[in-house]
Amino acid sequence: MKKRRMYFRMITASLIRRRSRMLVALLSIAIGATILSGLVTIYYDVPRQMGAQFRNYGANMIFTAVDGSFTQDDINSGLSYIKKDDIVGVAPYRYENVRIREKSILAAGTDMEGAKAASPYWSIDGEWPSKDSEILIGANAAEQYELRIGDDVTVSYTPENAQVSGDNGEDIVEDETIDFKVVGILDTGGNEEDYVYMSMSDLEKLTNSETKIDVAELSISASSDQLKKYSQEISNQVSSINARLIKRVTASETTVLTKLQALVLLVTVVVLALTMICVATTMTAVVTERRKEIGLRKAIGASDKSIIWEFMGESMLLGCVGGILGSVLGFVFAQQVSIHVFSSSISFRPLLVPITILVSVAVTGISSLMPIKSATDVDPALVLKGE
Amino acid sequence: MFFRMIRGTLFRQWKKMLMIAFTIALGASLATAMLSVMLDVGDKVNQELKTYGANITVVPKDSSILNNLYDVEGGDFGSSYLKEEELGKIKTIFWAFNIVDYAPFVNTEAKLDDGTKVNVVGSWFNHHMELPTGEKLDAGITSMRSWWEIKDGKWIDEQKSDNHNVAMVGTAVAEKAGVKAGDALHLTGSAGDRTVRVVGIFDAGGDEDDQIFMPLNTAQALSDLNGRVDSIEVSALTTPDNELAVKAAKEGPSSLTVSQYETWYCTAYVSSICYQIQEVITDSVASPVRQVADSEGAIMEKTELLMILITILSLIGAALGICNLVTASVMERSSEIGLMKAIGAQNGSITGLVLTEIFITAIIGGVAGFFIGFGFAQIIGQTVFGSAITMRAMVIPIVAVLVVLVTLAGSIPAIRMLLRLRPAEVLHGR
Amino acid sequence: MSLLELKDVFKIYGELHALDSINMKVEKGEWLSIMGPSGSGKSTLMNIIGCMDKPTKGEVLLDGVDIAKQSSKNLTAIRRDKIGLIFQQFHLVNYLTAVENVMLAQYYHSMPDEKEAMEALERVGLADRAKHLPSQLSGGEQQRVCVARALINYPEIILADEPTGNLDEANEEIVVDLFHKLHNEGTTLIVVTHDPEVAEVAQRKIVLRSGKISKEVVNKNFTGKIHFE
Repeated sequence: MKKRRMYFRMITASLIRRRSRMLVALLSIAIGATILSGLVTIYYDVPRQMGAQFRNYGANMIFTAVDGSFTQDDINSGLSYIKKDDIVGVAPYRYENVRIREKSILAAGTDMEGAKAASPYWSIDGEWPSKDSEILIGANAAEQYELRIGDDVTVSYTPENAQVSGDNGEDIVEDETIDFKVVGILDTGGNEEDYVYMSMSDLEKLTNSETKIDVAELSISASSDQLKKYSQEISNQVSSINARLIKRVTASETTVLTKLQALVLLVTVVVLALTMICVATTMTAVVTERRKEIGLRKAIGASDKSIIWEFMGESMLLGCVGGILGSVLGFVFAQQVSIHVFSSSISFRPLLVPITILVSVAVTGISSLMPIKSATDVDPALVLKGE
Repeated sequence: MFFRMIRGTLFRQWKKMLMIAFTIALGASLATAMLSVMLDVGDKVNQELKTYGANITVVPKDSSILNNLYDVEGGDFGSSYLKEEELGKIKTIFWAFNIVDYAPFVNTEAKLDDGTKVNVVGSWFNHHMELPTGEKLDAGITSMRSWWEIKDGKWIDEQKSDNHNVAMVGTAVAEKAGVKAGDALHLTGSAGDRTVRVVGIFDAGGDEDDQIFMPLNTAQALSDLNGRVDSIEVSALTTPDNELAVKAAKEGPSSLTVSQYETWYCTAYVSSICYQIQEVITDSVASPVRQVADSEGAIMEKTELLMILITILSLIGAALGICNLVTASVMERSSEIGLMKAIGAQNGSITGLVLTEIFITAIIGGVAGFFIGFGFAQIIGQTVFGSAITMRAMVIPIVAVLVVLVTLAGSIPAIRMLLRLRPAEVLHGR
Repeated sequence: MSLLELKDVFKIYGELHALDSINMKVEKGEWLSIMGPSGSGKSTLMNIIGCMDKPTKGEVLLDGVDIAKQSSKNLTAIRRDKIGLIFQQFHLVNYLTAVENVMLAQYYHSMPDEKEAMEALERVGLADRAKHLPSQLSGGEQQRVCVARALINYPEIILADEPTGNLDEANEEIVVDLFHKLHNEGTTLIVVTHDPEVAEVAQRKIVLRSGKISKEVVNKNFTGKIHFE
């Protein structure tokens, strides 16, 4: 018991009284550990964070009707099969042919908030419709009708039964009309520019009909395998909808994301390997410096084993402290990266703390063992004499 | 004598010096590798993002509304079309080098033998082009529709001899018509009929499943559209938009000042590339596909930022690592420095001696590290992206300055500390 | 039987005969000094006696055990149990206090005992400096800590290598006085030195020259109490 106390007394004395040297070593270990825990945290978080970025591409799954159309309840029951956190955005769409100034145009009724989330790439000049009787108009359509933000526009809808009789262009049955205000012009570079968008309730009013949805776009943050599973499950379980993946988005995302993760992995491996070697050389230098002390201890009768025990104990204690410091700093670093790059916080991985500490202890231990061994192998007389 | 002393340290203490050189080499290689990868990652990721397909579409002026909204029956679209003979010009614009791929499309309709109408699209698959610049390019939808899943057969190879009467059929059409790869399919267009061999069946997971794709000229012949193109999809490497680019895109290039215009024109913004395409293709409107262009910008920005932060972390790590070891190794020489002081050396000459030694070591280590780091960068490039990482000239001065600064920062405080010691204390074993 | 006996000991480095047929005996309780110019083989002899080196040829019997035939592990054990070393450069562990340095020897030997270590420091007159680090002690004080460390385990032999080489006269006197005290307590002392004054006070003096014993003088005036007035 007494002996152990002396052991700790010696180690702590060495760590505390040789402060500057030990700080050098500790700093080096802490840097290594910081890089280890920081990069590994980032590596594990990249797919999630980057995956969220890829949601910029918009919907990766669509619900289509098995028979005609479906309702919001069908969507909700479909969504219940998807993990809540994975859902980025859901936008239901209903398409109807309407007329503006007697020219036919496709109108889409949707949930504006959902559309915003599911199609983040939509570039709106002006504002998103937020109230009744506000309309979003595609850039091409706006050009065609020479409509600008703030303009009033009357949208009319000819009920289906009337269209049959009104074939030759004369209005026989009175149209439903609503006066809208143009609040935004939509620029996507795609077909959307040819349509007008209004709220679901406005379209229902206009067409004087009940809720029906033609298609729903979903943006889901999940791997392509997971998405496949979701779509099959939903198609099987919800009879009224058919869930399909948008291959262009899902396949490309998998390709690019895999590469990005491979990139971060490889970078992590290279950086870690080099850093660990760096830590090892520093530890070697720090221990080599103490050859004389090792010689002295041998001269006054220390066995090789006890010298190795003491010096290793010291190094490993240092490794342990460095590892703890590094885990904390690494998490802080990863957190900063996450906040700056992805504007979201990172989840703490408790398992990484013992791993970081273990690796630091192992690296410092192994890198000190060699110079300690070589110092104990030499005759103490030579070590003491040799300057 | 000065050099003799330096030679003495370098040769007689070569083990210690080797270790310092080794650590500096590690640090330098880390810095080189990370900087090279970081500087190139934008281009590499940009290339990868090309799997999402085109980020620019080119259509004839005033025509897009016609065929999308009024669903005009296949065949004649009036006077609105792009000229096939102008396609090559896309590769002559200012940012030609950034155009990685493009494909023209012509849409028409044809009847199958049972009378059903199908959409027929003519395009390039892997159209071979040899440009005046000597560059060779295989452009077309083989690479621009990389997400297509080939269910049966394979992609059309335009470079084979029997490349005219062939087609790729979407799964939906194939199911309806009951064809599979290798079958012959007879199509009647408004201006002629062709019997094509089905080379592949594809699943695009979208509208294209209802279409039949065939070489441009074959589709044109079906409806007498020779020399006509409905749209062009262009895949270009672009720089993420900034304020200037947004302004140019919103208010038109004419709203820019002369110097702004030059900056804008000479930067690979998606809007300036669009503008340049419009300059060479008669009566065309080139517009960015927001879904692809914007997302690309966001992802590239994030990836670059991520890499920059990782690079900074590893640079700090490398710097502190080197700094540390240099400090440790200078401190170790306390007795030697004490001795030199005792025999009357000036502080300046001791500092000079130690610094010269460390710097010779640092230069050796730094040069070695630079090449090792370059090797690491190539390993990363080849493994992840399957292509080499371009060496940027600016990496060399950055790494050089880093090594010099870090070595100085590591040695000077240690030397100063040792110089403050009294020789007697140092010599008489503290 | 003598405590230490060297029989025809050679130490040869290549061409150089550092020790060339050394024969000598040291009795228990004896105070022997070894003198000689640089390169005469003093240090080599001292290393062999101190179990830090082995002879090329010959027998070195310590307490009847032939050191030359022991493994280095056994040598460490013999050194720990039977030898107390005092160095010219003191060689104290610089981050341990005076008392901890003394305890270090106890620690490797058996059990650290702070009280005993303090008593040892008291014997060398350093009780009040026990909590100081070596860097806070003067050369003489450091050497006295070294002496305390050497005698803490009651070794058979205290082996001192130029113990006064780094000390001024006043401190030299203190250390020599300490040797007298140890001698009077019955400790066997072997002191390797350059300094004739230090060598003269011993019971017997051996002079080495080119690896051979060139002269052996017995001090007839030895009283053991020269410096005690």
